[in-house]
Amino acid sequence: MFEALADAGMLTMDSVANFLPMQEEVLNGNAQPALTQKGAAAIGIGLAAIGAGYAERGIGAAAVGALAEDSISTGIAVFLTVLPETLAIFALVALFV
Amino acid sequence: MSKSDSGSNPEYVNARVRARRAKLFDDEDYRKLVRMGTGEIARYMEESEYETEMNELGSRYNGVDLIEYTLNRNLAKHFEDILDWSGGQLYDQLAAYLRKFDAWNLKTILRGVYADSPSEEIEADLIRAGEFDDAFLARLLEVQDIEGIVELCSGTIFGPGLDEALEQYQETQALVPLENAVDRAFYEHLLDDAGTVTDVDSPAALYLEFLQAEIDFRNVRNALRLSRSGADIDPAEYFIEGGRLFDADELTQLVTNTDELVARIRDSAYGDDLSAALNELEEAESLIGFENALDAALQEYADHFSNSFPISVTPILAYIIAKERETDNIRAIARGKEAGLNEDEIEAELVTI
Repeated sequence: MFEALADAGMLTMDSVANFLPMQEEVLNGNAQPALTQKGAAAIGIGLAAIGAGYAERGIGAAAVGALAEDSISTGIAVFLTVLPETLAIFALVALFV
Repeated sequence: MSKSDSGSNPEYVNARVRARRAKLFDDEDYRKLVRMGTGEIARYMEESEYETEMNELGSRYNGVDLIEYTLNRNLAKHFEDILDWSGGQLYDQLAAYLRKFDAWNLKTILRGVYADSPSEEIEADLIRAGEFDDAFLARLLEVQDIEGIVELCSGTIFGPGLDEALEQYQETQALVPLENAVDRAFYEHLLDDAGTVTDVDSPAALYLEFLQAEIDFRNVRNALRLSRSGADIDPAEYFIEGGRLFDADELTQLVTNTDELVARIRDSAYGDDLSAALNELEEAESLIGFENALDAALQEYADHFSNSFPISVTPILAYIIAKERETDNIRAIARGKEAGLNEDEIEAELVTI
C-alpha cells in the first residue's frame, strides 16, 4: 500500500510533498505508534478510576445517609464507600503486563 | 419527564428512609398496643420514636389528644425531613404527593373558620408536612372569613378550583363545594410532574402507575361510599381524573349497582391484589373492611414497586405510605380504646400487611 502511495506521490509531487518526509520514515522502519503500550494502560487506568469514582458517588451518598440515621458504623460506611476503588487498583495491573 | 435529573439524590434519601422504616411499629408492637389503655399507649410511645414529641406536648395535652397531636407532629417532622433532603426531580415527585397535607391543612382551616373556632385550636390540628411554609399558614390562620382564605390561595394550585367553588358556597352556605375543590385540585395536580412518561420501564413510569392506582382507589372508595349511603348525588361531581380504571360516565353507571362495580374491579389490573377484600365486601357488606383492604393493597403495591427499582423515588413513597398507615393505626387503637371497643373490634380496624 505504501508503495502504491509512493507511486501516486511520484505522479503528483506538489500535492503530496508534505507527506513525503513522513512516508520516508515509515518506509525506513522508524515508525512510532500513536498509542504506546504505556499510553494505552494510562487511558485504561483513567477510565477505571472514573468508573470507580462514579460508583463511589452513589455509595458515599447512601453511606452518609445511613450514618446520619445511626444505622451503620463509621467503619462499615468508609469500607463500603471505597470498595469500588478496588477496580482502579486492579486496573494498575495493566501497567505491568 | 423532560426535566433534567440533576440534583436528584435518591441514594441519600433512600438510605435515611430505610433506616427510619425499620423503626416503624411492627405487628408485635400493635398486639401490645391493642391490649393497653390510652395512658399506657402514651407511655409506650414515649419510649419509642415519638419521645421528642411526647415530651414537648406532654404538659399541654393528655389522653387521646396527646397521642393524636404527637402522631401528627411526628408525621410532619418525618415528611418535612424527606422534603429537606431531596433535591431536583426527586423533590418535585415527592412534593406532588406530600401536597396532600397542604390540602388537609387548607381544609382544616376552612372548616375551623366556618365553625368559628379560635385560631389556636385550628393551629393545633395542622400537620405541617406539605409545601406551605409556616409563614403562609400563619397568614391563612389570621384570616377571619372564607373569602379571605380563598383570595390568599389564589397563587397556589388550589386557587382556580376554590374561586369557582366560592360562588357555590356563597349561594348555599355549605362547605362541601370548597372542600371538594381542594381535594380535586390536589389529585389533579398529582400527575403534573409525572404526566407523560416515555420510558415504560423506568422509576418514573412506576411512580406514575402508583399515583394512578391511588387515584383509582380513591374513586372506588368514593363510589362505594356513595352507593352505600344511597344519597342522591351525582358521582361525576366527585370523580377524579387521571386514573386508569374508570371514566366519569362509567362510574356514574356502576355506582348504582354494587355487584357490577365489584365485578368491574375484579376484572381490572387490581383484581389479584384486592380479591380477598372483594370477597369480604360481597359477603360481609362491611365498607370499613374493604377500605382497609384498599389501604393495604396500596401499601403492597408501593412495596412491590420499591423492589423493582430499589434506588429511586418508589421506596421513599412506600415509606411515606407506611408511615401514614402507622399513624392511622395508632390513632385507631387510641380512639377505639377511648370509645370502649374490645380488642377484636380494634384489630379489625388496623391495616397491617
